[in-house]
Amino acid sequence: MLAIETEGLTRLFDGKPAVEQLALRVPEGAFYGFLGPNGAGKSTTIKMLTGLLAPTAGRAEVLGLDLGREPTEVKRLVGVVPDGLGLFDRLSGAEQLRLHGQLYGLARAEAARRADELLAALDLAGEAGKLVGEYSHGMRKKLALGCALIHGPRLLFLDEPFEGIDAVAVSGIRALLQDLVARRAMTIFLTSHVLEVVERLVTHVGIIRAGRLAAQGTLEEVRGAAGSLEDVFIRTVGEERTARPGLSWLGEAAGAPVPGTERR
Amino acid sequence: MRGPNGGGEGGGGGRLGPASGPLHGGTLRALAELRFRLLLRRLRGSGGVPELVARIVLFAIAIPAGLAFAGFSGLAAFRAVRVREGLLASVPALALYFGVWQTWTAVGLSLSERETLDLSRFLVYPLPPWRVYAYGLVASVLADPFAVFWCLILAGAFAGAALARPGAWLLLLALAQLGFVAATATLVALLQELLGRLLRGKRVREVAIATLYVATAALLAWGSTAGRQGALRSLRVARALRWLAYPAALAGEATRELYAGRVLRALPWILGLGAAALATAWAAYRLALAAARAGQGGEGRLAASASRGWRVPGRLGPLLEKEAKYLLRHPLTSILALVVPALAGFVGWKVAPLIPAEAGEVIRALPLLGFALYAHLVTQAFWLNVFGWDRGGARVYFLAPVAPADALLAKNAACYLLSLAIFAASAAALAAAGGAPPAWALVASLALHAGIAPWFLAAGNAVSILNPSAASHTVQRGSRLSPISALAGMAIVSAGGVVFGAPALAAIRLEEPWLLAASWLVLGIAGLWGYRSVLPRLGRLLAARREPLLAAVCGDEE
Repeated sequence: MLAIETEGLTRLFDGKPAVEQLALRVPEGAFYGFLGPNGAGKSTTIKMLTGLLAPTAGRAEVLGLDLGREPTEVKRLVGVVPDGLGLFDRLSGAEQLRLHGQLYGLARAEAARRADELLAALDLAGEAGKLVGEYSHGMRKKLALGCALIHGPRLLFLDEPFEGIDAVAVSGIRALLQDLVARRAMTIFLTSHVLEVVERLVTHVGIIRAGRLAAQGTLEEVRGAAGSLEDVFIRTVGEERTARPGLSWLGEAAGAPVPGTERR
Repeated sequence: MRGPNGGGEGGGGGRLGPASGPLHGGTLRALAELRFRLLLRRLRGSGGVPELVARIVLFAIAIPAGLAFAGFSGLAAFRAVRVREGLLASVPALALYFGVWQTWTAVGLSLSERETLDLSRFLVYPLPPWRVYAYGLVASVLADPFAVFWCLILAGAFAGAALARPGAWLLLLALAQLGFVAATATLVALLQELLGRLLRGKRVREVAIATLYVATAALLAWGSTAGRQGALRSLRVARALRWLAYPAALAGEATRELYAGRVLRALPWILGLGAAALATAWAAYRLALAAARAGQGGEGRLAASASRGWRVPGRLGPLLEKEAKYLLRHPLTSILALVVPALAGFVGWKVAPLIPAEAGEVIRALPLLGFALYAHLVTQAFWLNVFGWDRGGARVYFLAPVAPADALLAKNAACYLLSLAIFAASAAALAAAGGAPPAWALVASLALHAGIAPWFLAAGNAVSILNPSAASHTVQRGSRLSPISALAGMAIVSAGGVVFGAPALAAIRLEEPWLLAASWLVLGIAGLWGYRSVLPRLGRLLAARREPLLAAVCGDEE
């Protein structure tokens, strides 16, 4: 069974396609890495699959449910760490988690219990009473992950979960995600620029370029004979770029007069 | 090197230092272009046309009104310069500056949207921060229709003086007026920075502000006691307090000397005005720079365990808890909860007794009824922009399986409860200071407060969805509402005032106080029915407009 299946999924902004004719196939239980250069349409795709953006054309099925017809049912079954995180700055970390769980239909006591467990698992127990607005970027990422997990989703969307956080935090999140996949607890759909981490985590890969799906399959299928995911990625989205001419002034001595600012 | 931040070499160019440099013409042009482009982009975005119309309307009102008042101030100045000495000369000079100063400060601290450059964003550039700040300050004055209005009034006085007695002394008068404008603008900036700093979360500071407010009100009330003794005491208080308004006091003294022809005696006042403006600007800049470098202040810790919290039952429980906590943690709430009841106490003590008994029961109850309406008015920053403070958190309403209408209902319920609490505290203060109101007045005021709420909240939901704007959890820099939302708020409150004011007129005419409660109850039931009818539609509108809404409230958050 497929956790995500899209057909002709398209989104236009001012008439220009951000995502075009996307046909994703994400098997249930897979750890799917959705890769692409900046502006390729990764976040737009996640926003469409989670209901933040309406598709211009095409259809999407999530966990066997039509996203256009049963958006609320789909929302109950998925967890999301969106781009920009979606946290309330004026709630404490503990309040954020508990209320998030309640919004997804958990009973108050159960939400509180799970929130305490998640805070401990994410190394945030010591900061549980602090306002989210005062959290560091890494702490916010971890808390957002906790929010996405608290209702026990069957499908987890993670938009750049490793961006802007330190190696220790990356390691902690990676271990948690690996554990979830090992237990076949859920399907994970992840976008990331950190190809080394993605390569160690995912079972399936999709590569998007300029809004169109350029490659899709299991990690082995996509990697093929190329060796590393990075080689495939660079070959798929564009040629490797070397230093270009025209930046010779970068080597000049610091403090040299900038043309146009000399005293007259 | 020079400048308060060790910033930059002087003049117009040379080498660019590693962390600071001159704000030469090119950089200034870049800053001006940046402001222009940001404004243009905003006006071209969704809701841009109404905002443009709002700005044009404000200027279209400010300029003719300013010219009309300039005629009065010019006439007064013309007479004052001709008579040179005495009350006819000094009163117009002082009244002009104190009047302009008072309104400028009041509007600057409450209504005006001050579009200063965000200093923290420019610290990374090799620009002296003090020049960026000065540029932002000047630009904010030039773009403010209220400032244009006051400057026209001052220009009118200058023209009147010039017609009465042409001469070189007018140069000093112009300097005094320029110094007054600079000192007032910088004082407003300083007060805004101070308020911003004070209101950044610490409850004890909020209490300090409220105490200051109440103390000033009490001082004025003490000074305004009726009778000859009271008038003399009032004059002494006003004379002692005038230096609080030092831009007006210094400019007034300088102008009085200039009108009388004593040019040399005016000079120290003008120099003092210049020094005061510079000192104020420096203090405002230092506070702005410190805030830009420090970021938001910490607020201490809250409940550590997830199991604590409110037990609000039902499907709306978690939404209502979140909204209520958000409102209670907003510094504006603390200020309103302290200041509005204090104002009500003052009205009960000093204003209500002035209403004669023969005016009738309904008229005597107007202060209480007024506070029922005022409690909604002071919270309009919340109900006209219900998603503004959620910022990135607003995404949750569209990611979680929450009905959009439920989100609106919870926000409205929390806002109504806050407004009701403010009204209850105000009514208690009014009763404590001015005596208990009759039962009918209490019932009528509650009916007014409850009856008008569904109308305001439904209209506020529409404004919030159609014209959302990101808002920070501070109350400085006029960032509470966009101009179009503020105009919409004025229209909604005015329309509500007309509809709910009609029964009051009828009650006064028929001398039947109970007519008020009955009418407002009927209007309230109609409003509730209307609210229930439009809520699902507004929920659908919210879902349909989620993209522009999230772009508006989540944008610029990181």
